[in-house]
Amino acid sequence: MASEKSDRMKPQINRLPETAPKGFGGTAIDRSRPVRFRLDGRLVTGFEGDTVLSAALASGIDTLGSHLNSPVGLTSRAYPAICHASLRHDPQFALPMARTPAQDGADFVCLGAERSRGIARLFQAGRTLGLKLDAAQPMPYPWRATPGLAGSSSELLVIGGGVAGLSAALAGARAGLTVTLIEARAFLGGNSGLFGTQEGEDAPEESMTRLAAEVEAADAITILKSTEVFSVGPGMVRAHQIDASSGNSRGHVIDMAASHIVIATGSLERLPLFPGNRLPGVIGTLDAYELATRYGVWPGQHAVAATSSNFAYRLAMLASDAGVRVDRILDSRSETASRFIAFSRAYGIVQSPGTTVAAAVVARAGGTLSVHLEGRSEMPLVTDRLLVSGGWQPDLTLWHIAGGTSAWHAERRRIEAQGSLDSIALAGSAAGYLTRRGCIQSGADAIDQLLGRQRRPVDDPSVDRLHETPDGPLAIAPLAGEAAPAYLDAGTSLIQRPSPTRKRVSLAFWRSPPRGLPLLSEAPQPLAVNEVAAGVDLSLVPAEAAGTVAQERVASVPLAAAPSESRSEAWEPVPLDEVPPYLAGRYGDDAKIVRIVPDEPRVLEAGALIYPDSDTKHPIHAIGVILRYATSGTVGLVVAQAGASRYPVTVRERGQIIRAQIEALDP
Amino acid sequence: MVLYKPNAAKNHQNSAENQGRIATGACGRGPICRMSDPLFDFAVFGSTPTAQLLAGLLAGEHAKKVLLVGHSRAGYRLPRGIDLSVAPITRPRSWSILTQTAPEAARFVSRIAGRSAVSRTDPVFFAQEPHATEALSHIRHMANGFGIAAEPVSQSVLGGNRSGIILRDALKLNRPQLETELERWLASRSVLRPTPSSVTIGNDGGVELESQDALLGARQAVLADDEAIMRWLPLRQWPTLLRRVPSTSILTTPTRPLAASIMHELDSGLFLTQQIEGGIAAYGPGEQADFSEHLRALLGQDRRVEQAGQTSFAALATKDGAPAFGRAAGLGADVVAATGSYGAFIVPALARWLAGEASSEEAHWFDLHLVNREGQSKRVDEFSWPAKSLTA
Repeated sequence: MASEKSDRMKPQINRLPETAPKGFGGTAIDRSRPVRFRLDGRLVTGFEGDTVLSAALASGIDTLGSHLNSPVGLTSRAYPAICHASLRHDPQFALPMARTPAQDGADFVCLGAERSRGIARLFQAGRTLGLKLDAAQPMPYPWRATPGLAGSSSELLVIGGGVAGLSAALAGARAGLTVTLIEARAFLGGNSGLFGTQEGEDAPEESMTRLAAEVEAADAITILKSTEVFSVGPGMVRAHQIDASSGNSRGHVIDMAASHIVIATGSLERLPLFPGNRLPGVIGTLDAYELATRYGVWPGQHAVAATSSNFAYRLAMLASDAGVRVDRILDSRSETASRFIAFSRAYGIVQSPGTTVAAAVVARAGGTLSVHLEGRSEMPLVTDRLLVSGGWQPDLTLWHIAGGTSAWHAERRRIEAQGSLDSIALAGSAAGYLTRRGCIQSGADAIDQLLGRQRRPVDDPSVDRLHETPDGPLAIAPLAGEAAPAYLDAGTSLIQRPSPTRKRVSLAFWRSPPRGLPLLSEAPQPLAVNEVAAGVDLSLVPAEAAGTVAQERVASVPLAAAPSESRSEAWEPVPLDEVPPYLAGRYGDDAKIVRIVPDEPRVLEAGALIYPDSDTKHPIHAIGVILRYATSGTVGLVVAQAGASRYPVTVRERGQIIRAQIEALDP
Repeated sequence: MVLYKPNAAKNHQNSAENQGRIATGACGRGPICRMSDPLFDFAVFGSTPTAQLLAGLLAGEHAKKVLLVGHSRAGYRLPRGIDLSVAPITRPRSWSILTQTAPEAARFVSRIAGRSAVSRTDPVFFAQEPHATEALSHIRHMANGFGIAAEPVSQSVLGGNRSGIILRDALKLNRPQLETELERWLASRSVLRPTPSSVTIGNDGGVELESQDALLGARQAVLADDEAIMRWLPLRQWPTLLRRVPSTSILTTPTRPLAASIMHELDSGLFLTQQIEGGIAAYGPGEQADFSEHLRALLGQDRRVEQAGQTSFAALATKDGAPAFGRAAGLGADVVAATGSYGAFIVPALARWLAGEASSEEAHWFDLHLVNREGQSKRVDEFSWPAKSLTA
């Protein structure tokens, strides 16, 4: 049956062969169980274990849509919310494309952004989802605004199923705590694979498998996979969970209580800043590695890498082993040393130190990129895929949401956590650790910290920079006039590099293209920690303010209860003879409260000014003011001299002159 | 009426009685400054447009030697204030000063940063609580009296039982655009911009700053915004009139248009401003959790907005709701506090007053609003949100 279905399936053009070496065949998918589903009406094929996103990428859909007249790539960090077609009008059923399992026979639609319609859609290229991304919030995730249902509680809640989170969960269980481990993806282990092995360590896959097996075997640990935490407060987290047990994926927002929380959310890869840095085909090295090793997805036959970090060299070698031709590695650092670099030379990969990308442009509609180099007169490089790495930034999103502080680390050129929180601790690369050994040890250290136990030093060995060059500064290309946008990060917000506003000629028949932001503060979206770090590198944010800005602009979701009802029931009317403080002394210390009787019956408004005659109209020369109206009449405050009974006055109200008399207020 | 004792008067009270001595750093009792050779007349502290305009005007229009401590932040921080030529003012003399100086301030700003730095807007002030609703009516009539078109807004526009007024054609400073050009303008006025490692404000208001290897001195410190006052004012000079108010600023993701691009809720002191991209910046008194809840209630459940930024900070308010100026403790640093949304629009008058060149009306108004006015018989109270949210 499975093979029959497989025969009818369209080829998955971006899927590597099952036998691809170095794990590039995909560990998460079961090729014996093909699935097919519809996405916005088109048939997409994949395998059991695929997500909707990985299946779409494998089938050649690599473009989100268009932003500022330029295509934007579909990646593991930039994807739309989807929904079963029959439930498209109810946002509570929205699902994240990157975490939703590909299910046979499902019919999904993309939510949020407007899409091309009519004839435009008819001629839309098969590789794009066709989203129009120029809206201020192009990819909303509706579950973030949904109140959480009460979920389970535990003594320790660990966020992140990488090696640090696994280690923390095990340490918590060993300490006798009931533990809940939350992992956004459908599998444990994390992202250590790309980073290889240091001296004295086992292979990353071995660490990941061993720790995951221990956690799964521990009775005290409850594992919640496909569950992503998006808000944290003291003793509480809010998460979006995907439940596919019924055969249909359903999302739930749950609130979970815990006495202690460990945040082990890893690092985010930074995006080098050059025009076209989010074109389809441009991808971060970690994203490329994970797609290949988990799902066997690798578009194209040729690749070029542009990096300021050593791990791109490792990816290049692994890709070469899998049959991908890596033509060249552009390294923004002038002098580099690394075991990966030495090995990659043996692969015949050409290295270009001190070279950065000036711009990437779409060379052909089929997906080929043309990579222009900064300061070089040589011909642009033509490639199927541009692998980029701008270094690594601890993912402090949840730390900042929880109220944690951070600061710019000048030497490492990134934002790192500072200080501590009462019941929340960081672990792993989110806490700033650089090696797998350090990350694993930091998991146990986080538990010691939370339980107030004696802490042991974490061994995070760094190799001498002579042998292993640290990450370089973020590569930044000069501003280019009409080139494709340069984005600050690879996430959902699509915040492009701010540029000074220029005076433009306005022509009635010419509709100007939408412009980017002039200033970072004008972005109506949250700023991801990578975007703030890019702001520092661009001198848009002073380094000393980086931590403050990162915390200030994090996408916080209040964990408070629903808004209370109107307070109006508690209000009482103002007493008739009350003189508010802002009128105190205005008409003298001996001002009198009187009744104002207009010559014609009418209601006089509070605040209307009282004048001695109709010629006087400057407010400074007013002799009184209407205090308020009650059923018994209108009450005013006037200077003492005007307090006599039957005193004629003029009230000015809405441009009208109203004659009135002053009368004593009834006792 | 003598509001300042002559021997307590300083440069902004540089009356004939003082024979201009104070501005030169000397008074009848000998040198007033501890620095042997103070280089500057004023050290202005603050990062708001009010502080920067003040420093530039003192240097440019009044030929004072000025240094400014504080840097623009509108390019990367959440807004904590707004600069408008209208405000929830009930006192006629305050409206008089504001309506006289606002066009002058706007001209300065246009000259500094071009026309894009000033725009016209129709803010809406609204209220629901009975006292606030009544104050709103007073504000409307007073604004009308000074020629500002202030009209009631239909309840259907505001929702609930809210009353509102729209003030037509108000001026608004566009902080991000302005601040970029202010840097250049301040440099052209030879305003020094040190980043001090230590600041010592003396009892006489004189100030010493250590910056890198240099020791700088100024005859008079002017703390021109809330943050500067809270950071630099010596505790012994702290005015009893001032209160720290826990405040919050929240930016939301884009949503459909508000009733007006700028809205102010009198009941709570909350400002809402809708940005060009559709996000709403809300700021005002209140702890973050309460503020966030109130904001969500105000925007309504049908707006599915998320928070795109949030921060807590301390602001200053006065006990009587009116702005406060002049020397802390009568002799110390000058403070500029609780000017609300209109501080930047009275800066020309403030600069004149500090330089001893104010008109009699301006001088009288500032005298009435001295920060040590407590105990004076002449009241200047303005409407302010409930004092229960204020903490000492």
